[in-house]
Amino acid sequence: MTTLGESALAPVPFPRRGRRLTFVNAKVLVGIAILVFFGLLTFAQPLLEATVWAGRDNVYHPQFGFDTGIAHPSAPSATHWLGTSSLGRDVFSMFSHAARPTFLVALAAGGSIALVALLLGSIAAYRKGWADGFISHLSDAMVLLPAMVVVFVLGIGRSNEEFGALQVGLSFGVLYGLGPATATVRAAALTVMVRPFMEAARVAGGGGTWIVTRHVLPHLYPHAAVQAMIGATGAVIADAFLSFRSAVGEDFGFGQMVYDGITWSTLMAGIAPTPWWIMLAGAGGITLLAAAFYLIGVGLREALDPRLGGDPR
Amino acid sequence: MQVINAETGGRRPRVPWFVTFLAFRLAWALITLFLFLTAVFFIVQVWVPYTWATQFLGPDRGAAYSAALEAAGLNRPLFERYADFMGGLATGDLGTSFSGGSVSDLILHALPVTLTIFIAGTVIGWVVGEMLGRVGTWSAHRLSGSALSVLGVLSAAIFPPFLVFVLVRWLRDPLLDARAAMGLPRDSLELWRGAVIGEPGALTPDDVRWLIALAMLAALAVGLLVRTYGRRHQLAIVEAVALPGTLLGAGVGIWLSGLGPHALDLLYRADIAATTGRGTPALALVGIILISFGQVMLVMRAGMEAERAEDYVLTGRAKGLTERAVRDRHVARNVLAPVLAGSFLSFPTVLAGMMIVEYELEMQGLSSVLFDAIEFQDIPVIMGVIVVLGLMGVGFRLLTDVTIASLDPRQRRGRA
Repeated sequence: MTTLGESALAPVPFPRRGRRLTFVNAKVLVGIAILVFFGLLTFAQPLLEATVWAGRDNVYHPQFGFDTGIAHPSAPSATHWLGTSSLGRDVFSMFSHAARPTFLVALAAGGSIALVALLLGSIAAYRKGWADGFISHLSDAMVLLPAMVVVFVLGIGRSNEEFGALQVGLSFGVLYGLGPATATVRAAALTVMVRPFMEAARVAGGGGTWIVTRHVLPHLYPHAAVQAMIGATGAVIADAFLSFRSAVGEDFGFGQMVYDGITWSTLMAGIAPTPWWIMLAGAGGITLLAAAFYLIGVGLREALDPRLGGDPR
Repeated sequence: MQVINAETGGRRPRVPWFVTFLAFRLAWALITLFLFLTAVFFIVQVWVPYTWATQFLGPDRGAAYSAALEAAGLNRPLFERYADFMGGLATGDLGTSFSGGSVSDLILHALPVTLTIFIAGTVIGWVVGEMLGRVGTWSAHRLSGSALSVLGVLSAAIFPPFLVFVLVRWLRDPLLDARAAMGLPRDSLELWRGAVIGEPGALTPDDVRWLIALAMLAALAVGLLVRTYGRRHQLAIVEAVALPGTLLGAGVGIWLSGLGPHALDLLYRADIAATTGRGTPALALVGIILISFGQVMLVMRAGMEAERAEDYVLTGRAKGLTERAVRDRHVARNVLAPVLAGSFLSFPTVLAGMMIVEYELEMQGLSSVLFDAIEFQDIPVIMGVIVVLGLMGVGFRLLTDVTIASLDPRQRRGRA
């Protein structure tokens, strides 16, 4: 309920400081909704295989399926909900299958980012001195190294078995974690170290490990989560680009779907219509998943510190 | 927020702040670069599973492989190669490609293409993002506010190859029409005939690219200086006109020197564009702007939204400042410093996106050097490109640091 006096001030939400910290806002909710959608989709794949597609593996298999009855690529229809690719694969089957490795990439990247950043950030802030000097300079240096480019160097030209989702996620995560994530979490940890309760914890006779795990880390988890989510966005796009550049026929990820559509429409320019359904399914999958992680990260960051925090120098 | 020299308490320092500041920052940059180069060397040498020699790992394995290792100097101890790498870098030498050429030459040849479109694209993307975030947030209705957020997230999450495909599809023909309308020859070769047949002293595309890059940088620097002067002396017109004026002046200067058609041709390159629509810097520029404005805009939006409720906004309104003055002179300046610091942290990701855009458009720039090198497993070239990307990062960092320090006197000490 707003009184008359308050509504006069309506454009200025007043006072901000007493507000309780909440991590739920529109951005986070939309991000979670997209993730839930793709999560359900990954369960839909085996379910469909058991029911609707039962016994028709040669038609609906995401990699080896081929519908002999029609010309490919075919537009969306009742038998192929999102059409087929130029190699005759069912696009919906590819779409629901590709979400799974993408989740693995994001999970591996996000997990390793959070782990590296929390470890180095808390050590730097707690130990100070040369440890902090080294870690802060190292993270400054690693920020200069685009993790995505290193992942391309490691992954282009290698098959999924050699350099798959897990490896993409981990290598991206470690590099991003050492760079931007450590820089941000360390900056946040430094502000925690000067809070009054740290003095109290020391006076209470707490040891280093106890202080760090009970009093420093809990304040850093949200910052690490922000970095994990924003880093996962990059990892998803890097993985999609590796899939885009991988050998035709081997890969059936989102990126390969985009490649399929682009190649077909370039080869058949003016002869056949552009198979937008393949490209939109591929690019849509990548963008929605990347956007989901980005939204959660940005939403959390805005809830944490609307002015971003960055690194307070 | 007026700039008050809090540190010196009104006393005039003998040395201008930016001299000591820059000295500190340059020392920082050197240490950071050293660590960066070390990290690059060990990551690429130890982690990357292939070398030029691994392609000779045929069925017979032994002889050809070790001969290739020997030839490429890869059988020497790691630390000896590290010392060589760092020693070479100190003299500006990036080593020798496995295919025999000098890496520095390869990169210097590709750099003008990349630098012009990356710098121009980032600057425009930044200005667009800042403006949308500042103006769009302050007066926006709820609906247009969410539309801006969606745009910003799309800009950060889009898959660059798909973006390039859509751009080529929709913008190729209008660009070619515009080129014809401006009276450029249908075929780019006509403009560059002298360079192609190897006439001594003929203008090459590289010359023109370097010239444009330098002219743009100079115009930017002069524009920023004039702008600062205008701001300090409360000359609103000077402040507003400075940057567009100098940039336009550089453009007119290039045109008057008779290089106009050449410069335009480089922007709308037709030799490749006529067949596939690729290799067109104008398209790359649009792509880079589209992937770089979003992050800046989102952070700017969040900051403006948060500052809206601060007391000084109310004070400013109460003392009768215009809404625009409150927004631009007070709120935006408070928001800008963290935005700059944050944009530096997201720079590597945006940079990788720009590389993909450039590569997918088949521009003969740094990214085609990089991806070709990956294909041929040419490690020295890969390292050279990453080193150059790092140098670009350092340059960007110094630029943001100086800007932050000029916005906020508390930041002028330089970090120890």
